[in-house]
Amino acid sequence: MSRTAPAGTPVLSTRGLCRTYGSGPAAVHALRDIDLDIAEGELIVLLGPSGSGKSTLLNILGGLDRATSGEVAFRGTSLTRLDDRGLTAYRRRNVGFIFQFYNLIPSLTARENIDLVREIADQPLPAEEALDLVGLSARMDHFPAQLSGGEQQRVAVARALAKRPTLLLCDEPTGALDLQTGVRVLEALVEINGRYGSTTLVVTHNADVARLGTRVIHFLDGRIRAIETNTVRARPSDLKW
Amino acid sequence: MVRRGLNPLDRKLLRDVWRMRLHAAAIALVLACGLSTLIMAAGMRASLSQTRDAYYDAYRMMDVDALVVRAPERISGQLAALPGVRALETRVSGYALLDIPGQSEPASARLVSLPGQGRPAVNDLAMVRGRWPDPAHMEEVVVSEAFADALDLNPGDSLSAVIHGSQRLLKLVGVANSPEFVFVAAPGELFPQPERFGVIWMGRQALARAYDMEGAFNEVVFRLEPEADWTATLRSIDALLAPHGSGGAFGRDRMMSDRFLSEELKQLSTMAIFLPAIFLLVAAFLVNIALGRMIATERSNIGLLKAFGYGDLAVASHYGRSALLIGLIGAALGTVAGLVLGRGVADLYRAYYHLPELAFRAGPMILAGAWAIALAAVSAGAVLAVRQAVRLPPAEALAPPRPPVYGRTGEGSDLLARRLDAKSRIILRRIGRFPRRALSTLAGVALAIALLVVAGAFPAVMDQLLRVHFSISNRQDATLTFAEPRGISGLHAASRLPGVLAAEPFRAEEVRFGKDGREVREMILGLPPDARLSRPVDREGRAVEPPVSGIALSRALAEKLDADPGDLLEVRQVAGRQVEGQVRVSRIVDPVLGSAAYMDLDSLGRLIREPDMISGVHVRLDPAHLESLNARLKETPSIAGVSYLRQAEASMRKAYADGVGVMTTIYLVFAAVMAGGVAFSASRVTFAEQERDLATLRVLGFSRAEASYILLGELMLLALLAVAPGCLLGTGLGVQLMRLFQTDMYSFDFVFSPGAYAFAIAFTLLCVGAAGLIVRTAVDRVDLVAVLKARD
Repeated sequence: MSRTAPAGTPVLSTRGLCRTYGSGPAAVHALRDIDLDIAEGELIVLLGPSGSGKSTLLNILGGLDRATSGEVAFRGTSLTRLDDRGLTAYRRRNVGFIFQFYNLIPSLTARENIDLVREIADQPLPAEEALDLVGLSARMDHFPAQLSGGEQQRVAVARALAKRPTLLLCDEPTGALDLQTGVRVLEALVEINGRYGSTTLVVTHNADVARLGTRVIHFLDGRIRAIETNTVRARPSDLKW
Repeated sequence: MVRRGLNPLDRKLLRDVWRMRLHAAAIALVLACGLSTLIMAAGMRASLSQTRDAYYDAYRMMDVDALVVRAPERISGQLAALPGVRALETRVSGYALLDIPGQSEPASARLVSLPGQGRPAVNDLAMVRGRWPDPAHMEEVVVSEAFADALDLNPGDSLSAVIHGSQRLLKLVGVANSPEFVFVAAPGELFPQPERFGVIWMGRQALARAYDMEGAFNEVVFRLEPEADWTATLRSIDALLAPHGSGGAFGRDRMMSDRFLSEELKQLSTMAIFLPAIFLLVAAFLVNIALGRMIATERSNIGLLKAFGYGDLAVASHYGRSALLIGLIGAALGTVAGLVLGRGVADLYRAYYHLPELAFRAGPMILAGAWAIALAAVSAGAVLAVRQAVRLPPAEALAPPRPPVYGRTGEGSDLLARRLDAKSRIILRRIGRFPRRALSTLAGVALAIALLVVAGAFPAVMDQLLRVHFSISNRQDATLTFAEPRGISGLHAASRLPGVLAAEPFRAEEVRFGKDGREVREMILGLPPDARLSRPVDREGRAVEPPVSGIALSRALAEKLDADPGDLLEVRQVAGRQVEGQVRVSRIVDPVLGSAAYMDLDSLGRLIREPDMISGVHVRLDPAHLESLNARLKETPSIAGVSYLRQAEASMRKAYADGVGVMTTIYLVFAAVMAGGVAFSASRVTFAEQERDLATLRVLGFSRAEASYILLGELMLLALLAVAPGCLLGTGLGVQLMRLFQTDMYSFDFVFSPGAYAFAIAFTLLCVGAAGLIVRTAVDRVDLVAVLKARD
């Protein structure tokens, strides 16, 4: 099964990627035979119903999970052969994660949450700049419990951004947010993708969000059902859900 | 492990406890340590007390003893007819210097006569092996078991003795024990030295002949009627015996063997209260923390149960029973350990005291009491945590908990925080945000350190006591005790013995002290003003010069008499002419051993109107002449006993190692278990609370070691903060415990031993570190995705 690959060297590529949980008759095939190439700077939306395999792929691409079989390569380096230490280093240098439930450290202020990743990044952005980019300069000394859900998610975006990641992986980043707040988060993601060229993958089950991406990959039952290329991308403010 | 028939909540309970099994095991172990100490000490106390009573009863232990110079046998009928007297036995007793084949140093023995016919009506013997002496064979004797065992003496062996100045060859026909001599120490000695001093029983006729006491006696022992009026009976005994040189009849409280057993029972009682209390307190602490954590993670389940219609009581009992289950496991473990330990300790006691039968028994009352106390401790720990579950309204329980609100804790700490890296800030802010939780971890670790300090200080305390007594207070090589007080010629004679480099006289006189109606029998030690070889020292090891005039009382004696410096005391000599006099208290001293009084040798001589008479001499010896000295001593009738200081020290150290040493080791192990339990429990709870933060750090690209820093860092920081309070608490507990263990005979002082502190600190920190590392492995197993995708 060959999929259309964009021009240029892929930043991520998978071949025959499978992920199975459990074994025997109880085995669950979360991903089956995924071949995919993702180019530098793309904003890809992974779309599909719950359990279709999109989050599993995101986790494997982000070095949080391992494939059962098949190959994953980041800029030509195989991730499948990396041990735990290697995957940690990979995440540290290249990956920024954004989750549905923010996962900020409650005991650190917004600025300090960002400082946390700056300590382990090579050429991080100043915390102030990262927070400015998500429109939260005024709230940088607030603790997570003092911020709204949307603000917390924007801090999570700023934290991911601060280490200038090659890959920005977002799992249902607006899943817990209302439209207005969700739009602000997506605006921040699009801004980062455009300004810093971070290859961005957004997992969502919201079909409207798909209009933001350069490409949309549709998942069903652990397989890629279709890949669409958006010739015209929507702006976050145009979205509805 | 889940059985059919259990209701779903019970199954949940079993599974919940199974899930936290390691944590539960740590708590159960701490509880088990406390309970086993309690059962062991309380059971041992009861067993020893029952054994003593049964032994005393079966072998007709005396209630009253009276020594006389010489009383005619015919008054025994009058004594027996006195109201309150149930039975009596007149006897001849004394001391003998022995020449044991194969042993160069002379040994000595207390000689006690056996009735011409039949068994003694009072103070019967428990024959261990051999037979009773045949009255027709005057040389036949029975010796005490500890002495026989120490010297490998057996029926058929012979020993040569100097009795009342004449050499006799004795033939050993039996080995026995007596309730009178459960604890045997030579006169003036505070510890048994079974290879140097024992008891020899021989026929009345033989001993009477040796002491020139035919038709007479010099000691009479009584059993009183249970309902006897003690004061009146003792008064009438004294009245009858006074003309015969009696120093006054006395009860068991003045009999060394019984006193020693009573002290032992008192110490077991202290032990049954003090140490278990600490363990149970810590167990309650741990239950509170663990259950609190369990309830926090079970929040939504509590909401569900309540939404389904379970009442507060049902919810409370569900979580309470988890604690109770852990309590039951701990109690069961503790009971088994307590019974096993008790048996082991009973063996030690049996061997040490030569009791005929000492079976460890922890009766139903003790076990029930111990279980009740253990479960009460667990329940106390559970109640606070369970209250949290009961108070939670269902709607609030079902909603996710609000994230903890952190705020500024003040500019100073914020400046400090800014200087630290983000991970250290996480640690500090968590501690600042949850001070109660941090405090309970800190308190647990501090208690563990404290208990280790106390357990670890025992050897140092004992060492200090021995060092003060055997190296500072007493610097003689040997002490020679005369058969009877001698004039100054005794000192000259001793100085001329082979190998004697220096000799120093002393007078030891037993007297009755009286003050404001109080009366206490005690020894006065008379020492020369410039005593160098043996002198009292205080607990710090500073020599206390005997006062030129007046008397120095040991603190224990002063307390019994309620005497202060300046007070005037009545003094009456117990033996001899029973001279009476008065002496003024000049000071109170704190010797480590014994509770004697001290006077200047000449002043004491004047007080009892026997100037220049001495009881013995302390000597320094040239080791090269030891053999010839011993040979000479064995044939010197005027010397009744020889005590070598180094041997006394060695036997005391051995007794310590066999007894207290074993116990100390057990406590040290228990303290270590507690340190481990506290550390593990604290790490487990901290990890559970930090799991999400740890997963976040891992996802952000922090390595396992870096992420573990916030777990281990928090634990270690709290453990380090617990060091100072732990040491202080340990010192306080140690001082208090030593005070409780203090007796008339020993005066323990807590010793600040850097080694014990260093060990307590290092071991506890090591435990915390190790527990943290064990729990840390869970960081490796954290399902990052699952944790991060879950709601808070």
